[in-house]
Amino acid sequence: MTTLTDVPAPVPVPAASPSPDHRGSWIPTGPMIRTRIMELRKRRGLMITMALVMIGIPTVFLGIRLLLHGVDPKTYGPAGGYDIYTAFVSGVLYVFGFILAATLGVTAGSSDLTDGMFRHLVVTGRSRLALYLARIPAGLAIIIPVVAAGFTIVCAVCVFAAPTRVEFNGLRVPANLSRAGLENWAAGHPSEVICDGPNVQIGPNDAGIGTTIQNFPCNNGPNPGGGPTITKQGPGPQAQPQPVSHAQAVQAARFIAGENYGDYTRHFLYPSYSLMIKSGLWLELEVLIGFVVGLGLGSLLGQRTVAVILLIVLEIVLTPILSRAKIAHLINLQRAVVGLATAHLAPGGLPVLGGGGGGPGGGGGNPGLVPESTTVAVCVIVAWLVGWSVIGAWRMMTRDT
Amino acid sequence: MTTTTVPALADERATESQWAVETHGLTKRFGNNVAVNSVELLVPRGCAFGYLGPNGAGKTTLIRVLLGLTHADAGTMSLLGYSVPRHRAAALARVGAIVDEPRFHGHLTGRQNLQILAAAREPAARQRIGPSLERVGILHRADDRVSKYSMGMRQRLGVAACLLGDPQLLILDEPMNGLDPAGMHEMRDMILSLVAEGRTVVLSSHLLDEVERTCDAVAIVDRGQIIRQGPISELLAGAALALQVECTEPERARALLDATNIGALIQVGEAGLGISLPVGTARDAIAEINRILVEGGISVYRLQQIQASLESWFLSVTSRLGAEE
Repeated sequence: MTTLTDVPAPVPVPAASPSPDHRGSWIPTGPMIRTRIMELRKRRGLMITMALVMIGIPTVFLGIRLLLHGVDPKTYGPAGGYDIYTAFVSGVLYVFGFILAATLGVTAGSSDLTDGMFRHLVVTGRSRLALYLARIPAGLAIIIPVVAAGFTIVCAVCVFAAPTRVEFNGLRVPANLSRAGLENWAAGHPSEVICDGPNVQIGPNDAGIGTTIQNFPCNNGPNPGGGPTITKQGPGPQAQPQPVSHAQAVQAARFIAGENYGDYTRHFLYPSYSLMIKSGLWLELEVLIGFVVGLGLGSLLGQRTVAVILLIVLEIVLTPILSRAKIAHLINLQRAVVGLATAHLAPGGLPVLGGGGGGPGGGGGNPGLVPESTTVAVCVIVAWLVGWSVIGAWRMMTRDT
Repeated sequence: MTTTTVPALADERATESQWAVETHGLTKRFGNNVAVNSVELLVPRGCAFGYLGPNGAGKTTLIRVLLGLTHADAGTMSLLGYSVPRHRAAALARVGAIVDEPRFHGHLTGRQNLQILAAAREPAARQRIGPSLERVGILHRADDRVSKYSMGMRQRLGVAACLLGDPQLLILDEPMNGLDPAGMHEMRDMILSLVAEGRTVVLSSHLLDEVERTCDAVAIVDRGQIIRQGPISELLAGAALALQVECTEPERARALLDATNIGALIQVGEAGLGISLPVGTARDAIAEINRILVEGGISVYRLQQIQASLESWFLSVTSRLGAEE
């Protein structure tokens, strides 16, 4: 090898220009996060798809229901209400929220590699870990508001366009009445309340009410079989059939309404505020998981298509199967599925994983799911979040480009 | 929190070092294939340095190792006096580089791509986006999507990305690719202007003519090894001496010269004799050839020394090595 024997005379070099920065720090800077948001936001196809699915579907579907109900309320039921809410939250927003968040995560994790920008970024000297971590707040800053917007639309319609009458033990009763309001309504509809109303328990001090109910002429006769079931608890012989005055009927109807007010309030017309808050947070948790897992998988594989397909299969095929099939030898493996853990954290009243009913106990109370404690569910979710972040960051830091 | 605050000692070394790039025994293997083989490379500061080699010689791999895009298997290296990978962040803060074909986010504009890269650099880099785009001549297309850029425009955008960090060292891998003749001319001028500002430009290329026009010094790499390096003038001085002789009776002139022990390779052509003398032949040999011809009764109308080109020298070096093997 020839060595340099006569190199050109060194020329004065420009002063070291870079101002002090923390280029080796693993903490991403604000501008890095902002430009990363811009990069994702400018992906029009992805952004339009997200908006269409998370905002467009609820808007169009609920809008049509609102319109139809407005035109012909007797044929078409109210647009909102509790049932619509649960269907949207645990169906559309839950499943598609995960898939879209995962797609966004995969895109964020792989786009620099596939577009050839990763080399440019590494050559800046910026920590690769910081480059990776900048994608997390950037992606979440996009997907969380989109999901929140769709969820807000669903909540608004379900609350403000909820049914005004509740189906309550065979009666159609106005919604949201106070105890006095319900009693007053019952006083105005004694025949419906006594003949078609709910069960009522008659105590020893209310024997007269029981007699009234029993003697009330339902279907052109006394009421031996129809109407409220009267459980007599007082002593004494059964009263003979007597004509029932209007005042007695009103008194009996008020009594029945008062006795059933607690049951009446438990009938959901629209989701409670606490349920909406809990399910909103639960949806965002699902979205967070989808994004972080997608980011890690996208960074690991370095490409988008396979990663997105894998996550869709996980969400809509494997998770429902593994959550419900009771395989004794694989029970702990099933518990490690993040979708199952998320389902166990579902707020009360939401059916999860493709239906099956949630009930007041939420996903954890869903007898169809593989049993899992809340602690285990939380640990599984944390493990998935941390694990995929570590895998993605490791691949990012060790990848040859 | 870790920071890149460079130790004072490293800063001193960085200032004192006369080498922009310095490698010793640098080796990179891919399985059994040694892509970079014990490379000893010294690139002086403040010059345009050509890194030449045929396709597959290991040029891009060496650049990737220098920039931390892949790790070295053996050896040491430093950029601007900063040992890398130990002080990689501090070194790369003063380096701009294009590796392979410059690619960007196609759905973003040129300006937006630079914004992403500037955000990863120091805060002042954001102020340099406009001037960098202007300097490479694509300011008028800065707000068009990169997917609509030609290859040449992407090359220019790549150079603009290099300039964001106000670099002391630019490493440009095949920067002329995709440029039309006018673009190549502009790129050459730009490189020369960067060098005139005191920056160091390492130009990896297989376009020997462009390197010869642009660079002060070169290193020739073949099969992962540097086989020659030094200032171009010095390297060419060691090249074979070529003469063009216009005379009467060229065939007899050839016979006269063949009968001597000059060791020249002689070809007869329409323009006269083409004479190639071995490397290291003294200039006195030219006078000796003239004397032999004149004494042999040959009229010599013109005797001209042909300046060896980098291309001919490169080919002679690499082909000789090939023949030796």
